[in-house]
Amino acid sequence: MRRVIALAVLILASVPLMYAVAQLPPIGSVQNPTYTHVVPRYLAEGHEEAGAENIVTAVILNYRGFDTDGEVTVIFTALMSVFAVLLMPRLADKKREEGLPAVPVSPVTYFVVRTLAPFIVMFAIANIAYGHAAPGGGFQGGTIIGALLIATSLVMGSERVGRLLPESIRPWLQPAAVLMFSIVGIAGMFLLGEYLSYPVHGPYVFLRTPFLTLIEIGIALGGAAIVASIFWTMEGSEG
Amino acid sequence: MIRVFDVLLYSLLIACALAVIRTKDLLAAAIIFSTYSLIMCLVWQLRGAPDVAMTEAAVGAGVTTVLFLVTVSRTTRRER
Repeated sequence: MRRVIALAVLILASVPLMYAVAQLPPIGSVQNPTYTHVVPRYLAEGHEEAGAENIVTAVILNYRGFDTDGEVTVIFTALMSVFAVLLMPRLADKKREEGLPAVPVSPVTYFVVRTLAPFIVMFAIANIAYGHAAPGGGFQGGTIIGALLIATSLVMGSERVGRLLPESIRPWLQPAAVLMFSIVGIAGMFLLGEYLSYPVHGPYVFLRTPFLTLIEIGIALGGAAIVASIFWTMEGSEG
Repeated sequence: MIRVFDVLLYSLLIACALAVIRTKDLLAAAIIFSTYSLIMCLVWQLRGAPDVAMTEAAVGAGVTTVLFLVTVSRTTRRER
């Protein structure tokens, strides 16, 4: 009986969805709203207006800056939620686990991770530094560094890798993206009158690239710290 | 030729998605899901979205897989 009801609900729900799909404009047509609404302006003037050659970066940091500001807040909130669920009971009894991996690591894995690590860091830094001109950026570079911190934690133990991010600076790195957005946003407010506005022309135009770079670096540091912290917290929590 | 590759990738995606749902072994499910992300990463790249492909590789195939594995190791390996 339940199967019949489930099937009926599925069919009923799929009818309007299929109807909506049938109404969609043809794929790839140049008349589509996706190609006629804001995209022509982004493509024609994005380089001049937003100050980034990579159009994705221009959209993420400038045209859709408020969205990104909200997104980094969401990511930071995710970390806070992990802390709230996993860290609070642990702080109560102050029990700390040994940082060494429970299963001995194969020497091959150890060697490969240790050998590749500097190259991965280089790749991530290049990603962050050239994010305005090439694919990649703060989000990508940051998560790559975060993933590398996790990989090295797996082979070397969280204690040793965790020392790279000392407890004293960790609380400043984790909200780095949110803080940097606030700093740049409020700076824009003082200089130009609106939160998170970038100078396009006028006396402050030289500040545009530093603003974009600061936000990229903030997103990268925050992303790396958050990804690694979520892993360390989950790993350290009692089963 | 690129069409053949497309069809191959999408078939693998669907196969991975079905396998993740069907398998009862959560460790296997996490690893299949990481394969799914890796294929998805190739699809993004083929569709001309290298920014998203990079994020998918780092977050989808890398970080979330590790977080799933940590969760499995902290809880239980069999689905109930």
